[in-house]
Formats: sequence, structure tokens, C-alpha cells
Amino acid sequence: MGSRASRLLREEEIEEIKKETGFSHSQITRLYSRFTSLDKGENGTLSREDFQRIPELAINPLGDRIINAFFPEGEDQVNFRGFMRTLAHFRPIEDNEKNKNPSATEPLNSRTNKLLFAFRLYDLDRDDKISRDELLQVLRMMVGVNISDEQLGSIADRTIQEADTNGDSCISFNEFIKASFVVNIHICTVVLVLVNI
Amino acid sequence: RTLALKMAPLRRSSTLRLTGLLCLSFLVFFSRGFASHDVVSEKSSGTIQEDSHSQANSTAHKKTFPVLSFNYEHVRTPFEISLWILLALFMKLGFHIIPTVSHIVPESCLLIFVGLLVGGIIKATGEQPPVLDSNLFFLYLLPPIILDAGYFLPMRSFTENIGTILMFAVVGTLWNVFFIGGMMYAVCQIDAAELAHVDLLSCLLFGSIISAVDPVSVLAVFEEIHINELLHILVFGESLLNDAVTVVLYHLFKEFAHEQTITVTGAILGVISFFVVSLGGVMVGVIYGIVGAFTSRFTSYSRVIEPLFVFLYSYMAYLSAEIFHLSGIMSLIACGVIMRPYVEANISHKSYTTVKYFLKMWSSVSDTLIFIFLGVSTVAGPHTWNWIFVIFTVIFCLVSRVLGVIGLTAFINKFRIVKLTKKDQFIIAYGGLRGAIAFSLGFLLDNDEIKNLFLTAIITVIFFTVFVQGMTIRPLVELLAVKKKKESKESINEEIHTQFLDHLLTGIEDICGHYGHHHWKDKLNRFNKTYVKRWLIAGERSTEPQLISFYNKMELKQAMMMVESGSAAKLPTIVSTVSIRNVPTKGAPKPSRAISKSREEEIRRLLRANLQKTRQRLRSYSRYELLNDPLEDNISEARFRKQREMERRVMTEPLEIEPKCNKGVYQTVRGLSILHQNRFRTH
Repeated sequence: MGSRASRLLREEEIEEIKKETGFSHSQITRLYSRFTSLDKGENGTLSREDFQRIPELAINPLGDRIINAFFPEGEDQVNFRGFMRTLAHFRPIEDNEKNKNPSATEPLNSRTNKLLFAFRLYDLDRDDKISRDELLQVLRMMVGVNISDEQLGSIADRTIQEADTNGDSCISFNEFIKASFVVNIHICTVVLVLVNI
Repeated sequence: RTLALKMAPLRRSSTLRLTGLLCLSFLVFFSRGFASHDVVSEKSSGTIQEDSHSQANSTAHKKTFPVLSFNYEHVRTPFEISLWILLALFMKLGFHIIPTVSHIVPESCLLIFVGLLVGGIIKATGEQPPVLDSNLFFLYLLPPIILDAGYFLPMRSFTENIGTILMFAVVGTLWNVFFIGGMMYAVCQIDAAELAHVDLLSCLLFGSIISAVDPVSVLAVFEEIHINELLHILVFGESLLNDAVTVVLYHLFKEFAHEQTITVTGAILGVISFFVVSLGGVMVGVIYGIVGAFTSRFTSYSRVIEPLFVFLYSYMAYLSAEIFHLSGIMSLIACGVIMRPYVEANISHKSYTTVKYFLKMWSSVSDTLIFIFLGVSTVAGPHTWNWIFVIFTVIFCLVSRVLGVIGLTAFINKFRIVKLTKKDQFIIAYGGLRGAIAFSLGFLLDNDEIKNLFLTAIITVIFFTVFVQGMTIRPLVELLAVKKKKESKESINEEIHTQFLDHLLTGIEDICGHYGHHHWKDKLNRFNKTYVKRWLIAGERSTEPQLISFYNKMELKQAMMMVESGSAAKLPTIVSTVSIRNVPTKGAPKPSRAISKSREEEIRRLLRANLQKTRQRLRSYSRYELLNDPLEDNISEARFRKQREMERRVMTEPLEIEPKCNKGVYQTVRGLSILHQNRFRTH
């Protein structure tokens, strides 16, 4: 339509994305229109600035980390496929999917992958362990500036003490899963109920 | 030893027998107490007459001074009330001492049974047993239970399932009302039943009374089976929120039955009235909640009366809603929910404990009394037993509940993330217990001939649900292997991850441009933090992040547990300033805490000297005897201490005290500051 050089999504692409992520047709088109509205440069990819333009994200304590999660290692642009691939983690878990294809790779929105996504947001240096410093950084972001370092430190210590089972004073992925087993329920509710308009 | 072992079972059975005998004798004693008051009152009035008579006759005759006189009349009412409450408490105690029975039969059944016994005994002595007065029930017995439930409502699971709960409460109850009312009208048309005088409106009125799920019964039964939180909150939430529907429909049909006509305007007004009743009730509760929270900001000046504020504001919310025929239950719940986070931040720890235990105590007593009275009223009330009416009522109640749950779940599951399975549906349907609210509403009807018929049916349904469903739900839960409540300890991990996930999901929703559940919750939290908390929470706690208050609460709990278990051994994180267990990943050297021996000796000397000098003067400062009482009643006092410590450290530099103060004071203050400085150093 006119000057807006927005590329229309082709049917084959929609089919591919559907197979890869499991989103429905209408959800994909809706998310594509959101993608294009965020893409001010109109080059089919999003940069970090495009994300940072979202006002609510700026006040979100985890805003930067969430944005980083969209960009694969070392890259500065993300296309629609990558966008959808990240969002696919947040689809509701459907039990009948498990029976369909037991030999195929785990779907992106399985419980483990959801937890892995959350874990990676804590673990910035990707060493598969949440160290005390990384935990402190997250706590500092969530709690604000008024709390003293010592108090935050004791909270971090207690957190690690509760979760750490092998005594390395870091939280590995398995310990993370176990420590948040009640939170698993909340992981199941990680979903965007995209109404089919 | 074998002899002792043989004696043990004998002794146990004799203890049981003794306890049973005691209970029975208490029962007889109490019921005689209630029944004999009439006799006693006659006697006392007789004595009074005699006295005046004798006085009038012989004024000159000196009356002997009564060393011991008997006047029961003027303490009669409080005495009887206390007797009833004592009976309830003994029954409650008795059931827990005799474990075998309470394992099979839920407490509510036993209490109704006791009520039947007491009522029977009273009736056997020829007296009229007291009936559960609706006023007494609605104004005194019901509010504590609802407040207890509302104040400790798990907000997170409640708000997550609010859609489902509302669907069940509103649509489910409406379905029940019309289904039962309609079907009972059809039944009344059968000639064999001789119920032709019961018209459609009365049937619908009956339907509106009987279809509401009762929170008291649900609480009583569900509490004992420890079912998982989702099912508990669904059934319980439904029982709370359907009050609005019940109130509206009850008054509506009562009006219609009076007028004997249904008008379209009436129906429309009914719908409007529903919104007014429910939202109005909630608003009244919110207003009282905010006022209560604001008041608690200033109660630091008189800590002892703090719990009373909580109770009174909530009770006033209930009563104010009842003035306007709004939903008192929703008002009470709203008040408790709104007030709680702010009040808890403001009141002292002791007041918090008081509030918690008083609520539990009152609701427990109320609950017991309600069931006992239900039993007594069954024996008392005039009954009109009509086989067909009663049996069909029970059948239709069950059928409509099952159909309603199945139908609604099929619809709701389209929107739910965690779908409700067939097992869940069964428990929800089976947990639809009726209780004392239905009875009291029925009691308020005024037409005598139909009223007894309805009351009998209501009581039968209540008995059926409480006895049959109440007793069988526990084995069924075991049989169906329904998920039980997870015995999860509160953990800081969980709190951190929950908040982390909330932020994450809000962020994702914002990226997608989707204004969903998390978006609005985040906005509400932000609003709460910037504006509301500042107004309603006193002092610096208003800016305290949720994580910190959670952590402090946990630490306090751990400290209490530690003291109660008698071991002060492992205290990982209660050290305030330096984290001893600081194990950094890079292997940095531990911070040294060693104080040289000479320094220690010097400090000891200073302490001793100053302590002796200032002991007399410092009685008012005894609050600062910190090390003797590790459990301050208020965590803010710990913070206060920390602050003071900082101040003292600054103050030990040249003290600018006005020369007017005498030397003694100067020395005292100086000594005190050194005392504190050294105390905290040797911590």
C-alpha cells in the first residue's frame, strides 16, 4: 500500500514458520504486522534500537536482557524467523504434541526449553552456571537502588544456599529446575493468548 | 514390661470410655442448663415477689442480711451464650482426642450430630430448643468465618483463576436456580405430590435459596482433605462470589412472589441490581479497606489496639453493605484483601500474630456453633415432610450441579491455559456443598405453609451434602489420586523466580504489543508502588521492595523457629553487616574478624565500667539491652537499632553537648555511645 514498502508474507514462509514454531496462521500474521510496525528502518530486520523504542520495555528491569535474548550470538539484527523462534518459547504447552512425533527434536515451547530460556537470562556469560555475581546483578535490577549491597548479598547467599546441592556455590541448570519446581506451574502459564481476530 | 504393655491398651480404652462418658455428661448438663432456665427464672421471680411481699407486710421487721443470694436472671443471657460456646469448644476438643472417628467422619458431620443430640435432649425434657436465628447467624456467626477466609485468601491463585471462578459463581448459580426452580415446578404439577399450591415463583425462590454453594461447609470439608490449591480456590472462590447472585435473586423472587407477577422491567431491574449489589459491595469493602490501611499508618503510637482496627473496619464494612442490601460477603472479602498488604507493613509483629490467631479462633468457634445449631434447629423446627418434594430436590440439586460444571468447563477450557481435567470437574461438582446460609435464608421466608416444606427440603439437602458428600469425598480423592496440596516451604528462590518471570512475561507481552494479563498486573503494581504505598504505609517501609519484605519475613520466621527448637547453632544469614559465609568464586581471602586479645580486654573493661555507672539511670533505656532479647517484636526495631548504631558511631566524635547539661548526663551519654560502639564491634 503506497510508500510503505512492507513485504507481504508469502504462504510458504507462513507454512515453514508454522511448522517450526507451532503458531497458528492468524497468530503469525498478527505478529508479522507487529514486526513490521516495530521495524522503522523497513529493511525486514529489527535492531536493538527498534526494541528499545517500546516505552514499557524501557522501564522493565529486565528489558535489556530480554532484548538481548532475541539476538543470536554476536549479531545485531534479527529477522522475522528469528523473532518468531524466540517468541515460540512462550506458546502454551500442548500435551498432544508430545505424542505426535517422539523422534523429532523437542518443540521450542517444551517445559525444559522454557526453563532454559529463563536460565539463559540469568546466566549472561553462558557458562551454564548462575554465579553469585550474576545473581547479584539480577537482584540489583529487580530491587532498585535503595537497598544496600550487604543486604542484597545476604539474599543472594541465601538463594544459592537453598538451591545449591553440589556445593559449588553456583546454581546449575538442574538445580535451577529443582529450585523452581513450584514455579514450573507458572512456566506452564507462560503464554500469549493471541485472540484470533 | 509386658505387664505395662498389656495395661496400655486397657488404659487407652478406659480413657476413651471415660472421655465419652465425660462428653455425654457435659451434653446432658448443658442441655439441662438451657432447659432449666425457665424453671429457675420462675423460681427467682417468685423469690422477688416474696421479698417485696414480706417487706410490705412487715416493714418494722428487720430483714436478715442475705449472706448468699441467688439471682440468675440478670446474668442469664451472657451465661447461656458462654455455655453454648463452651459446649462447642468441648466438642471440638473431644473429637480430636478420639482420633478414630474424626478420621472417617468430617468434623462438620460430628457437630451436626451433637446438635441433634442436644436438641433431642432439650426436647425430651419438654422445652423448646432454640432455633438458629437468622439475625444471629448473619450478623454474628458468619462474618468471622468470611473475614478469616478473605484475609488469608491466596491472592495469586485467586486472581489467576478469577475468570473461571466468576463463571462458576455467576453463570453456574444462575443455571442452578433456573434448572432447580423449573424442574421442581414440574414436579409440583404431579397430582400424586399434592403440591399444586406451590406456584412457579415460589419454586424459583426455593431454587435461589438452595442452589448457592456454601462457603462454611466448603471450608469445613475441604480443609480436611488437603486438596491441591487450584481446586480449593475454584470451589471456595465460587462459594464466596456467588453471594451476590444469591442475594439479588432471593430478593428479586421474594418481591415477585409477593406481587405474584413478573414484569419485564422487574427482570431488567434485577440484572441492574446484580451489578449494583456486587460492585457496590466490593466498593464499600475497598473504601473501608483503604481507610483501615490509612489508620494503621498511625497506630505505632498505641500498638495494643492495632488488631481491633482490623477487625472493626472489616466488620463495619460488612454491616454497611448489609444496610443497603449489598453483598456483605463481597464487601468483607474486598476489605480484607485491600487492607492486608498495607496493614501488615505497618503493624507490629505481635499485632500481626494477634490478628491471625484471633481470626482463626473466632472463625473456628463460629463454624462449630453453626453446625451445632443446625443440628438443634433440625430437631426444633416444625417440619412438613413430603417425600416427593424432598427426594426430587436432592436429585435435581445433584443433577444440575453436575450438568452445570460439565457445561461450563467445556466452555471455560477454551480460554484456560491449565485446562480442567475430568477429575477436576468431578471434584468441583462433588464439592458443591450446601450449608447454613441456605437454611438461614429459608428461615427468613414468611409464608408459613410453604416455609416448613421448603425448610425440610433444605435441611435434607444440607444433611445429604454434608454427611454423604462430606464423608465420601476423602476416600474418593484418594481413589481418584487427585493431586494433593504441595507441602512446599516458602523459599526465596521461588519468590525471586516468580518476580523474574513476571517481568519477563510483561516484557514479552509488550514486545508483541499484546495487552494481556501481565501487562495490566504490571501497571497495577507500578501504580501501587508510586502512589498508594506512599500514602498508606508509614515511614521508610513504603519504599521497600517486595523482595526485601519477603526476605525479612522469612528471616524472622527462621529466627523464631530456631529459638523455639532451642538451637542457636546454625544462623547463616542473620548476621547483619558482614556476610560470614561469603565464599566468593575467585577465592578472595575471607574478611578478618579477629580482634586482638588486648583490645578485647580493653573493650571488656570499658563495658564493665560503663555498665556499673549507668545502671540506675538507664532503666528507661532498657530497650537497648539488645543481646538479651534477640526476638524483638518488630523487625523495624531491628532497623531502628541499626540506624542508631550508625548514629552512635558518628556521635563518639567530639560530643557537642551544651554546657548546661550536668556532667553526669554527659558521662552517661558518652558511656552509652562507647557501649554501643563496642557492642556492635564485638557482635
